[in-house]
This record gives sequence, C-alpha cells and structure tokens, in this order.
Amino acid sequence: MNWNAILPELLLSIGILVVFFLELFLSKKYYKFLVFVAGIVPLLSVLSLFLVQTPAQAFFGVLYTDTYSLIAKGLIYLITGLSLFASYDYFLKKGSEYGELAYLVLVSSLGLSLLVSSANLALLFLSLELASITMYILIGTFKGEYLSKEASYKYLVIGSIGTAMLAFGSAFYYGAVGSLTLKQYSQDNTLFLLGMFLILSALALKVSSVPFHFWTPDAYEGAPTPITAYISTAPKIALYFLLSKMAMLFSQMKAWVLLVIILSVLSMFYAGLIAYVQRSVKRLLAYSSVAHAGYFLLGVIVWDKFLNSAMLFYLSVYAFAVLGSFVVLTVLEKRENFTHHFMDYRGLGRYDTLLAVLLSLFLFAMIGIPPMALFIGKLGIFAGLVKLDLLPLALLFLLASLISTGYYLKVIVYMFMEGSERKWQKVEVSVGEAFVILVCAIAVVFLGLFPNVLYELILKGL
Amino acid sequence: MLSVAIFLPLLAGILVLLVRQEKFSKILSLITSGVVLLIVTYLFLGFDWNKAGFQYETKYPWIPTLGISYHVGVDGMAISLLLMTAIMFLASFIWSWKIEDRPNLYYALFLILETACLGVFSALDFFLFYLFWEGMLIPMYFIIGLWGHERKVYAANKFFVYTFFGSLFLLLGIASLIAYAYINTGQISFDYTFHRNFSYPLWLQLLAFLLFGIGFAVKIPMWPVHTWLPDAHVEAPTAGSVILAAVLLKMGTYGFVRYSLPLFPEASKYYVPLIFTLSIIAIIYTAMMAIAQTHIKRLIAYSSISHMGVVTLGTFASDINALNGAIYMMIAHGLSSAALFMSAGFIYDRIHSYHMDDLGGLARYLPKLAVVFMISGLAGIGFPGLAGFVAEFLVFLGTFKNFPLWAFIAGTGMILSAAYFLYMYKRVMFEEETISEYRLEKWKHLKDLELHHFIPFVIILACAFLLGLYPLPFVKIVEQTSRYVLGG
Repeated sequence: MNWNAILPELLLSIGILVVFFLELFLSKKYYKFLVFVAGIVPLLSVLSLFLVQTPAQAFFGVLYTDTYSLIAKGLIYLITGLSLFASYDYFLKKGSEYGELAYLVLVSSLGLSLLVSSANLALLFLSLELASITMYILIGTFKGEYLSKEASYKYLVIGSIGTAMLAFGSAFYYGAVGSLTLKQYSQDNTLFLLGMFLILSALALKVSSVPFHFWTPDAYEGAPTPITAYISTAPKIALYFLLSKMAMLFSQMKAWVLLVIILSVLSMFYAGLIAYVQRSVKRLLAYSSVAHAGYFLLGVIVWDKFLNSAMLFYLSVYAFAVLGSFVVLTVLEKRENFTHHFMDYRGLGRYDTLLAVLLSLFLFAMIGIPPMALFIGKLGIFAGLVKLDLLPLALLFLLASLISTGYYLKVIVYMFMEGSERKWQKVEVSVGEAFVILVCAIAVVFLGLFPNVLYELILKGL
Repeated sequence: MLSVAIFLPLLAGILVLLVRQEKFSKILSLITSGVVLLIVTYLFLGFDWNKAGFQYETKYPWIPTLGISYHVGVDGMAISLLLMTAIMFLASFIWSWKIEDRPNLYYALFLILETACLGVFSALDFFLFYLFWEGMLIPMYFIIGLWGHERKVYAANKFFVYTFFGSLFLLLGIASLIAYAYINTGQISFDYTFHRNFSYPLWLQLLAFLLFGIGFAVKIPMWPVHTWLPDAHVEAPTAGSVILAAVLLKMGTYGFVRYSLPLFPEASKYYVPLIFTLSIIAIIYTAMMAIAQTHIKRLIAYSSISHMGVVTLGTFASDINALNGAIYMMIAHGLSSAALFMSAGFIYDRIHSYHMDDLGGLARYLPKLAVVFMISGLAGIGFPGLAGFVAEFLVFLGTFKNFPLWAFIAGTGMILSAAYFLYMYKRVMFEEETISEYRLEKWKHLKDLELHHFIPFVIILACAFLLGLYPLPFVKIVEQTSRYVLGG
C-alpha cells in the first residue's frame, strides 16, 4: 500500500474531520473562523502535492497519481480554498450561515481530486457521486430561499440521470473489456461503443454541454453566489482533465470524435445564442459556461499534445476568470434588493468603479482579448485545430467566439454607458473577497503575459 | 529606446489612473507624449535608409514554449508611421486640454491607446503584434462609448464587434501559419523574420492571405466591411476621431504591407483583381456616398474610406513607386483627415451641430478656422504642394505602369473627392443666406480658434506642407520598406 499516492487526499480528509468536529462544538459566532480554517485545509493539501513522488498508485492500481493529475489537484484545491475565503461575508450578510457548508465544499473537492486520479470506472463513479451529491446539497444551502431549493432539486433529478448513465455505461464497458480499468481499447465492438456513449453523455452532463445543459442556468442562478463560483470552476477542472485523459485512450474511435464534435458545436452555438435573451447577469454567465464547455470539448476531440495542453491551459485560467467574476457578483449581491437583473447593473461604473472595472476585466478575458490569459488558450486551440487539419472546426470556434462577444459586451455597456435612477448604498468588500478577486485578476493578467509558468507545467504533465 | 517609447505611455496611463488628479493627468499626458515624440524623432533622424532590413531591433525570449519572443524593430514604413502616431497623440492631448467629463479616465485611455498603436507598428512577432492590435480595441471602445454623442453605445458596439470579427480571422491566419511551420520544421515560432524567410505553398498562401486580409480589411476599412467607420466617427469625440482616422485605420494597410505582401507574394498577385475591384468600389462608391452626406463628420469618414482605397490600390500594384505612394498616402491621409476631423470637432464645439443645414457663412465669423479648414481639405484632396498630392501622384504613376485601366478608373475618384470637399466647404463656410438672422446674430460672438486648438493645427499642417514641398527624404525612407517588401 503506497500512502504516498493519496497523501493530499489524506490530508484533505483529516482536514474535513477537523472542520466537522469544530463545527459540532463551536457556536454560530465562530462561523467566520470555521470557514477560514476550512479554506486553509486545501491550501495545505496544495503544499503536500510537492511531497508526492510520481507516478504512484494505490489500492491495487485503482488510483493512479501522476504529474498530470497533480496539476489538476493543485488547481482544484487552490480554487476551493479561494472560493471558501470569498464566501463567509456573503452568508453572514444574508443570514444563512450553515457551518456544514465549510466541510461540504471540502468533501466535494475530495471527490473531484479522487476523480482525476481514478484509473478505474468504479472509483470514477464513486468519486463523481461524492462530488455531485455534496454539490446538490451545497446548491440548496440558502436559508429561506425557494429558488435555491428548486435549483438543488432540479440538479438532483437531472444529475441522477447522469449517475444512471454512468453506471450503465460502466456495466457495458465491463461487458466489452472484461475489466473496469480504464485502458486503451480500439476494437470495433457495439457493446463498447454503447458503454462509451453513455459514459461520455454522463460526463457531458456534468460539464453542462448541450443537450445535457438544462440544469445549468437554474442551478447557477438558484445557488448562493459563492457556491456558484465553486460549482462553475472546480468540477470543470476535474472533469476536463479526466476527459482529456479519456481522449488519450478512446479518441482513435470515430464515434468518440463524432460525438465530441457534435456536443461541442451544439454547446458553442446554442448557448451563445440563448445567452442573448437573458436578463440576468448570473444566468448569462451560466450560459457562457455552457458555451465554454463547447470550446473546451474542442480540445478533447482527439489526443494531441499541443491541442490538449492548450485546452488545459485555457481551462485553468478560465477557472480564475470565472471565479473572479462570480466573486464580484457575490460582493454586489450583498446589497439589499440586488438581483442580478441588467437594470441593477446600470451605472455601476459610476459608483463602484473598481468592481465594475474588475468585472469587465474578467468579461474581456472571457471574450478572449489579450493580454488576458484566456487569449493564449484560445490561440492555442486555434493553432492546434489548424495543425490537425480541422480548419472547419476552427472556423466554427471563431464564429462562436464572435457571437459570444455581444453578450459579454452587453454587461459592460450596462455598467459603464447607462445611468442609474436608483441610489445604491455603498457595499463593503470583505477581506476574503478582496483577496480572491485580486488573486484572480492578477492570475488572469500575469498568466497572459507569462503563460510559461503554467504552460510548461502542463506540458510536463501530459 | 524603441521599447521605452512604446511602454512609456502605458506607465503614464497607469500612473494617471492611480493619482486621479485632473491637472496632473493633463500635464503628465502632455509630457509623456512629448517625450515619446522626441524619442521617435531621434530614431527617425538616425534611421539609415540605405540599409535593408529592420533597425533598432530588440529581441528577448518571452514564452519559449510557444516560440514567442519580445521582438520589436522598425523599417522605413514603421518609423514614419510611428512618427505620425506620436505627433497625432501629442496633438490630441493638446486638443483635449479643456475636457471636463471624467478627464483622468480619458487621458489614461488615450495613453494606453498610444502604447498599443506604437506597439502595432513596431512589433516583429506575431503574438506581440496581435497583443497590441487587440490592445487598442478596449480603450477605443470606451473612448467612443463614454465620450461620444447620442448613439454612442450603438457605435461603440458596432466598432467592437466588427473589429473583433476581423481580428479573429487574423488570429486564425496567424494560427495557420504557425501550425504549418510547426508541422514542417518541428519548430514553433511566432517570429516575423522566421516566417519571412519561410516560403509557404500556394494553397496556404491563398488561405492565409484571405484570413489576414479579412482582419486587415475590416480595420482599413475596405468596401463591404466599411459600415462601422461612419458610425464610429460620427459618434466618437473629436480626439477619438483623430486617432481613429489618423492611426487606427493605418494599421490595416500597414498589415497588408508588412504581412500580406512579403509573406504571401504569390497570393498577393493572385488576388490582385479582387483587391483592385474592392479598392475601386471603395474609391468611387464611397466618394459618391460622401457627396450625398449632410453630416460633415460622416462626409469626412466616407472620404477616409475612399482615400484608403487608394492606399490598397497602390499596395498591390506590384510597383515600387505605387507602394511608395501607398505608404506615403498613409501618412498624408493621417495628417489631412486628422486636421479635417479637428475642424469638424471645432465646429461642433461652437455651434453644437454637425449638420450642414444648421451651418453656413462661418467664414465670416470664424476666419481662422476657415483658413485651416481649407488647407486641411486641400491636403486631403491632393492639392499640389501638400502631402496628399505626392502620395496620389506616386500611386497613380506606379499603378498606371502595370494596370492603366484600373489607374484611370481610380483617377476619376480624385475628381469626386474635390467635389465633395468643396461642396462641404461651400455649405459650411459660405452660403450665409440659408441661415436665419437670429442665428447669425448669435454667431457674431463665436470665439475663433483658441491656443489649444491652434497648436495641433499648426503642427499637423506644417507636416503636411513639409511632406508636400520636400518629399525626397521621406520617400527615401519609405522606399527602404518598399525595396525590402518587393524584394528589389
């Protein structure tokens, strides 16, 4: 038994237990402290990543850790820690301080971190469920808010279909291959095809790609905003790292390529067009996330070192931009009666200049404007697709990015170029929120100017 | 030196945003743009036009994994455009001396814009080039959207989406070149000189030329994708229009000369009929559109498109004189259109209207303006002795050699340009009888050009005269690029 392989997860589990017991015995007024402790735990796990000797495996090869999964874990932990830091003030202001939330987020991250190093469909299923079920709960943790419960229930129902598909797909996979271990398989086998189809659909549901995206806008909108920040970033990282690994194993099959292309093109265009009719910024960002699912899926059509590294880089910096923008939304929502309707964003540039500028920075980054790091990711995917002779897809990607500019700009227009009749009171930015927004903004710009720091790491992992 | 000139405005812009003192912003912007002008002038004077290739080169590895380096350098065309850019920004800053609405943000955006513009003209790395190319988008978007006139948001969005549309194609073009070179040499590089020495197969040239071409055509703008320009100009504040017309439009034609011609020589020949047709349509059709306008800024905007048509015509005529003329035209048009937009902006400042119906007889009340307006207009329509004449002469001379028919048709556009300008001048400056007594009474108290209006005019028109009366050294400098591009 090699404990070394699961060192970060062990640390995280211990942290979860500590927070769990603390939560039992501490009274409500220590909520801030509790969240703070919970936020420290994943950061400690990040440090422990440097101690792991790779490649390593545990539990008879069910769990396999290499540099690649370590990078994913590092990002997941970092995002988890940051989103916890950004959450406490919001819940205090909204009077919805559930101490359980602190460790539930960690449990979910534990699931995600096991997911990226699972080499076996059984573990994949378990870890994905661990993460998903906690996320259902997290979405519903908004005290007295009906929408939050509805969103949670909706995600639960739709998510269960994903669970069923994954379980069913794994069964077929077992039938075809004779083992649950993920490995290369290129025989022409209907059973296997069916299994792969179901597994891919389940994962597509979790990354909210069209046509499995229906839970996304509701869940994102209903969830308390710091939780939206979490569920729109950390799971994405884990799932795309997993999908990229699966692309390495299965992408010689025509069916895989075809399916991923369909999912990706549908997501890019459907979400891009639907986003235009949204009246709520939070919902708009949800659709932007669906559209981005389409972009990222382009990166797993086939396994190519260049394309994949570009996609993973894009994904990592995208996570920072999304986290940053949702934290800005969190801060804004602390105002009384603030909904995320466009009308509430009018004139934001005048009275909350800094927040508005930062939100525009993140939105411009998502459009893909240099020097923000997401541009490098886009460029990489472009070049990768062209290199693989997939020029039509590159053109579609281009068209979709162009369509997407309009709705991001809409938010910016409302913030800067329209006046507001309403007088909002000054909003306080808590230390945690300020810290997280700052980290995200710096990451987005710094990695845009010096992408080597992360890019070389990803290339080393692949 | 060159890098200092590029990044100095950016630093100043950040400083302006941090300090947020109106006086400080104004003075710092003036000093910064003055220093940039001095540096660029120094580089310009030290430029050796007999030496081929790039000068003042700086190269540092930046993102080695992707073969991206920080590589800047200038040739004759670039240094001329840099000089013009520096002059235009200085002129805009002086012109905007009395701005009241959010002056700090205004100056900061212009300073950031200056960095982007200088960067575009000196970048020798595809990535760096694209970075600056897109970097100009956000400041300009806000300049139009925040300080514009009634339909500013519409114009700003249109500007953004059109330009971004073009940029994406440019990006795809860049990606295709990089990918091709990567597959064939195993080396991934964004460096311009690396790709310059690389010969691409015809199919890739044809494809990449189109992709690059769409990106540049939107920016120039060429005929079918030109519709954003009149809107952007009409809504933009005066200084924004000046920069847009004088500097941003040149990026497209600069791109054609810098990238399309040398990288895709065969494709450039192959697409000559297409480019020429579009250029001719731009020259004739938009000149006619200009005649039909009653909004003076819209008229000048259409005239810009028409003149840029001459530039694209000269660029692809595969003749050294025509190419010299095209590059010369970029500078000349920059000067004349800037002066015209300043005149129009000044009229709006005083009368609060751009419409010819509201204007007339201004020559009596604003005599100084009447003089500078006339000179700017003559510079624009290619009056001998001013910069535009030399440029147009060279373009038509060169084009006539290889394509007499095209040159002949394009030449008629020049007559139209005289027509629309003189028509506008007549409506705005004379024809006093169309204006009511009441208005004329009010106009008696109009203040003519003030010092902060006068200085930019003097600078720009002095340059126009200099380029028109003593073109030799400038043509020599520009020719350094033409020889390099045409491989002579």
